[in-house]
Amino acid sequence: MADRFAAAADALSQMDGDNSSLTTPILDIIPVSGAAISTLGDFLGSETISASDALAARIDELQFDLGEGPCWDALAAGVPVLEPDLRSAMVRWPAFSEAVSAQPVGSLFAFPLIIGPLRIGALDLYAVQPMELGSQDAKRTEVFASIVSRHVLRRALREAGATDSGDDGPNSRRIIHQATGFVIAQLAISAEDAHLLIQGQAFSQGRSMREIAEDLIERRLTFELNDNAIEVER
Amino acid sequence: MSQLTREERLVDMFATLADTLIDDYDVVDLLQTLVDTCVSTFEVAAAGLLLSDDGGDLEVLVSTSEESRLVETMQLSAEAGPCIESFRTGTVISVTDLDQGPPDWKPFRTAAREHGFTAVHAIPLRLRETTIGALNLFQQQGDSLGDRDLRAARALADVATIGILHERTLRASDVAREQLQNALNSRVTIEQAKGILAYTHGVSMEEAFSLLRNHARSNQLPLALVARQLVDRTIIF
Repeated sequence: MADRFAAAADALSQMDGDNSSLTTPILDIIPVSGAAISTLGDFLGSETISASDALAARIDELQFDLGEGPCWDALAAGVPVLEPDLRSAMVRWPAFSEAVSAQPVGSLFAFPLIIGPLRIGALDLYAVQPMELGSQDAKRTEVFASIVSRHVLRRALREAGATDSGDDGPNSRRIIHQATGFVIAQLAISAEDAHLLIQGQAFSQGRSMREIAEDLIERRLTFELNDNAIEVER
Repeated sequence: MSQLTREERLVDMFATLADTLIDDYDVVDLLQTLVDTCVSTFEVAAAGLLLSDDGGDLEVLVSTSEESRLVETMQLSAEAGPCIESFRTGTVISVTDLDQGPPDWKPFRTAAREHGFTAVHAIPLRLRETTIGALNLFQQQGDSLGDRDLRAARALADVATIGILHERTLRASDVAREQLQNALNSRVTIEQAKGILAYTHGVSMEEAFSLLRNHARSNQLPLALVARQLVDRTIIF
């Protein structure tokens, strides 16, 4: 089972560029009925990127339209929101619960898509029959969510035409590499993630990677780990 | 600097370069030693070496100072200046009067002057029809570089090129390509490692590079390997 999980995580990692089937490796491992991946909020806009079936897509659509539901709460809190029995969650999301009550949805599990300070969207899993998501499955889904986050951000940056490294000035590449080192040290993450974070931060602020890199090196900008959540200090 | 010390330095450098024909070696370490030797042996204020990447662009691989304005000056020379000229033509380009040269060298000229450089010599890293980069020597007021010095510098560049390309060009040129690209990739890792050390020790990039070099030297490890371990977070210092 551990091997199957590793293989599925690997398969998911290899799927850069192909969004339509992103949920397939996840559903191979996690015993739920369906899954959907959506971007949410101001950063990338609200849009479903991949859904295993029409109901999974519908669940996300309802949450976009009503502006409430587990995916929003998961993204706001930066932690998974697990609702084993959706029918008992009337109080928490009155409008969404009522809208979804016509659909055969027993449980809903929402996992945030986050990279550093960038809040991107959510991975939603649903089950027709009410069920508990075991702690191992929850942990595995978090791993899937973190892989999916990188895909979604890379895709968004590609589509926005964000360049990989700064062309503004002959020394930009070096400065960006040095700043990547700063972020590696600040967050204990891989060089690839650190680079992606600088790129995402530049994109979200409409500035160049070199500008963000200079802010980091001059210590005007710091990424910090606080209680597992990454925060930006300016 | 006494004549003897100077000769000893040159002999040491040639011996080190010749070793590359026999033993395994790290390209970044070898070329760093080469530029350092140029500054300690000849009357030059700074030296740097650029290699051509996959896309044909010249990138600074090593320099005697990590100061970003120096690196920037060399990078500008590689866009429009003696460095790219030397790389394209495969010949030594000596500019003893910075006012010389075409108008599009202006950004390079300005940067070089701001740095207090009065002359620059760009020496191609060339073996027959293959040019892989260029060695750049920068002089300040009062530095003098004679013909013999330039010939010695050129010979160093030639032997270094042979060391890098030997056999590989004969076997397959894409293997040589790959190795050059690997060297440039290790530069990326070295920059990241400098960033890590600059942040954790609260020091400048220059000091961070010294920390990295000292650690590599005292543990007798290639610079690029230590940098890789820092970036992969398998070591901390």
